[in-house]
Amino acid sequence: MTTREITYLEAVREAMSQEMRENEDVFILGEDIGVYGGAFGVTRGMIEEFGPERVRNTPISEAAIAGAAVGSALTGMRPILELQFSDFITIAMDQIVNQAAKTRYMFGGKGKVPMVLRTPAGSGTGAAAQHSQSLEAWMAHIPGLKVVQPSTAYDAKGLLKAAMDDDNPVIFYEHKLLYKTSSNVPEESYKIELGKADIKREGTDVTIVATAIMVHKALEAAEVLEKDGISAEVIDPRTIVPLDKETIIESVKKTGKLIVVHEAVKRGGIGGEIVGVIAESEAFDYLDAPIIRLGGKEVPIPYNPNLEKAAIPQVPDIIAAVKKTVRK
Amino acid sequence: MMAKEIFMPKLSSTMSVGTLIQWFKEEGDSVEIGEPLFEILTDKIEIEVEAYEEGILLKKYFKQDDEVPVNQIIGYIGEADEQVPDSSPGQSASEHDESDEEIKQSQPAAAEQSSPPEEKVRATPAARRIAKENDLNLSIIQGSGPNGRIQQQDLLDYLNSDAEKVKITPLAQKIAKEQEIDISTLKGTGSNGKITKQDIIPAPAESQTAITSARRKMSGIRKVISKRMLHSVQSVPHVTLTSEIDMTNIKELRQSLLPIIEKQTDLRITYTDILVKAVGSAMTRHPQINISIDGDEIIQHSSVNIGVAVAIEDGLIVPVIHDAAHKGLAEIVKQSKQLGKLARSNQLTSENLTGATFTISNLGMYAIDAFTPIINLPEIAILGVGRIQEKPVVVNGSIEVRSMMAVSLSFDHRAIDGAPAAAFLTELKQILENPYELLV
Repeated sequence: MTTREITYLEAVREAMSQEMRENEDVFILGEDIGVYGGAFGVTRGMIEEFGPERVRNTPISEAAIAGAAVGSALTGMRPILELQFSDFITIAMDQIVNQAAKTRYMFGGKGKVPMVLRTPAGSGTGAAAQHSQSLEAWMAHIPGLKVVQPSTAYDAKGLLKAAMDDDNPVIFYEHKLLYKTSSNVPEESYKIELGKADIKREGTDVTIVATAIMVHKALEAAEVLEKDGISAEVIDPRTIVPLDKETIIESVKKTGKLIVVHEAVKRGGIGGEIVGVIAESEAFDYLDAPIIRLGGKEVPIPYNPNLEKAAIPQVPDIIAAVKKTVRK
Repeated sequence: MMAKEIFMPKLSSTMSVGTLIQWFKEEGDSVEIGEPLFEILTDKIEIEVEAYEEGILLKKYFKQDDEVPVNQIIGYIGEADEQVPDSSPGQSASEHDESDEEIKQSQPAAAEQSSPPEEKVRATPAARRIAKENDLNLSIIQGSGPNGRIQQQDLLDYLNSDAEKVKITPLAQKIAKEQEIDISTLKGTGSNGKITKQDIIPAPAESQTAITSARRKMSGIRKVISKRMLHSVQSVPHVTLTSEIDMTNIKELRQSLLPIIEKQTDLRITYTDILVKAVGSAMTRHPQINISIDGDEIIQHSSVNIGVAVAIEDGLIVPVIHDAAHKGLAEIVKQSKQLGKLARSNQLTSENLTGATFTISNLGMYAIDAFTPIINLPEIAILGVGRIQEKPVVVNGSIEVRSMMAVSLSFDHRAIDGAPAAAFLTELKQILENPYELLV
């Protein structure tokens, strides 16, 4: 496979474009995704290639966008909808939770909802309290939804292919600050199975489970920790539903220590779920220190850039947590 | 199955209440037969009481320092979901007086064979798993984690070190841990060099040299002594007779007996041992001394049982040599050594401590010439013994150097009068100055 370095944003666009060339049932809909290219420019150039029938600008109504996607999916289409900011998922909540997630089950499998909801999440852009949240735990709580959080361009392309192939609704969280990061991505289409975690860095002293942008912060922390003689293993679950419990359990059995890091508010965050999985698993007997969760502070994301940074875990926080856990 | 009562055991005929020193288990803990369950203080001793039922400790009605009448129900053991009363239902219905079974089960020696509770050990799951795999007791491991938490590495260090070869009883482990004593610094005196409780108790005293002023609660035994001494002084009209005894012959006797008895018993005979024998003989000749008072009655005892005061940490305890008059010196030596050892290790049983009819308190190892001892109730007399000193003494009109020893006999004037007490003391002096009388 030929690879080249492209950005996360380009990887998402490429996955959609390749799929749309192959499968004419796939189309995208959302606010300003046409000529404007979407809030972050992900769909830029797509309307020129695929035309306004398959790259559909919508009114500013997330409920309507989601409802249209659910309806078209039920009729056999494979829609990809884009919500400009994942905060607005609240407006689409009924369509997602009560329709998309339930329909296949309630019709005994006779109908299916093969749709992908793509949406940028996270803070760091100065977009303040209503445009910076990480609400993935809400989605993860609903049976019938799959929840994906890619952290690299490579993962984004492969996971989006898997999401588009899936016959169930998939919530695909793209992190705003990751759009401009790049990695080697194959030109051809490929698929990364949902529910397979990726060990981003192998280590022996502590397991750091990190999601989305925190994967990069964890890797940075691991780099620093290595100089202090601490070998950290960084696991990116990539999809929080389904969650690759096995990989995390095996890692904790190996290291005996666990740090979970996510940007979302710690209280009620997916970190608690991951910790719970470990506490219930055979890895419990291998735990050699209390588990530490790092998550966002219990505050709305502030507009002030310094406070915005302080509201979520940063590299020094991860280093400190590891050092508290690993005594070397 | 009905929940089983736990009650305050009656450990001697004179015991009416016991003070709860501590519980070893919390409510909800599971309890095995033979595990130490709680510790009590009677009017004579401190003793650990073991569980004689297995199950869950469902209820504790009393807490530390509570005084509880004997046979009072102090808790229940049973199945986890059993209902028990909210407060103590009172006296146990079953007959427990002088229950030999419980007394036997309360022997500290037996307690050392069972495991101490591990619930309070702070250890990570990984540490617990490794401890279990290696059959290690976590309470002996030093935790190096936060709050003393035992972590995997501590276990691995322990397994890799020689520490695993340290043999230690669970009870000793518990004490060492509580007092933060490094067991690797201790020498075991138990069988096969096992570290026992008595190997640990003196340790803190050695390391603590600086004394800071502080106010602390009296220890259990201190309270008992305090109460009993005050009671004796306040309720008994003490009279103290003193006499000086020429111990020259006894000194010679002891010198010649030393190798003989050492050969027989491996032990050295002391003056106290000889005094026990001599007092025993004198008392058989003066049975009016071998009595005790109970209310307005006088109890005449048939056998002479001599208590010997032994200083222990924070107190004084009086183990008893029963039937001293009819025992040979070798036998007395053996018994008094054994009792002394048990006393210092706090292992005396109720039987070792009850039934004395007379007490000897010997301070002769110090620079004490004479003192007035306080009677150990319900006995009616006590002998205080001073040091043996070479003195110029007039013998048959000439001055000779003799080994002299002052003794003081305190007696209860309610029970006997000066003349019979004086006759007894004279008899004792006679025996000690002419030790062949011991043969009679």
